[in-house]
Amino acid sequence: MTLVEPFLFAMFGGTAIGCALGVVFHRNPVHCALLLVGVLLSVSGLFVLLHAPFIAALQVIVYAGAIMVLFLFVVMLLNVKGESSILTPGAAKGFGILFALLGFVELLWTVLSPAAESSGIPEAVLPADFGSPAAIGRILYTVWLFPFEITSILLLVAVVGAVVLAKRKFA
Amino acid sequence: MYWYQVLAALLFTIGVVGVLVRRSALIIFMSVELMLNAVNLSFVAFSRQHGSMDGHIFVFFVMAVAAAEVAVGLAILVAIFRLRSTANVDDVRLLKG
Repeated sequence: MTLVEPFLFAMFGGTAIGCALGVVFHRNPVHCALLLVGVLLSVSGLFVLLHAPFIAALQVIVYAGAIMVLFLFVVMLLNVKGESSILTPGAAKGFGILFALLGFVELLWTVLSPAAESSGIPEAVLPADFGSPAAIGRILYTVWLFPFEITSILLLVAVVGAVVLAKRKFA
Repeated sequence: MYWYQVLAALLFTIGVVGVLVRRSALIIFMSVELMLNAVNLSFVAFSRQHGSMDGHIFVFFVMAVAAAEVAVGLAILVAIFRLRSTANVDDVRLLKG
């Protein structure tokens, strides 16, 4: 735990929250997608701070690379017109924000209450290779081998489903 | 360490607000990604605290499922847009085509 860490945490966290607010409240979908890239990159910085370099690299490659390219393609493809009003009208908006804030208070209560799991336990001493690709691969291909194989089937199903759904004439 | 959880809760809430108040299905998808990322951050923070790498594995699976979800979801969106030429969730409210 160094002195720079709180500073870096504030920087990445602040960027993430600012960009996230931009995603939700910006009018232009292309700007929203680019701000979402900002969120993903700052979260990846936070992963590095949490000693998870492999997950951070995965975040940049899979999320900021692949998934966001998909989003941008669809934004271009759909050519969504400038909406007259971007938010749901009337009471639905107020209720939405109200219930989201209630959920936030609940989450904060869970995290910060004295009985919370995160308060009592001191930070564990980490082994030298914590979060490295080698260490993650070692448990991924032994303990978690079966879920890993299931994931490959899920991805195959998703690819087939996406192709069938997006075909020009489907029937 | 609980500052990471507070940040994750805040990002998750912003995602929830996005899902509830925006009208464009595309932005709603982006907000869902925001929520998934908040949960991933929470997982990695707990993983760091407990010194166990199972959280990293879970984040790996969440990323794989998110990739599948986005591919299928955006395909559905493209199909709806072809049929109704709108991406506004308030205009798409019938199960019938």
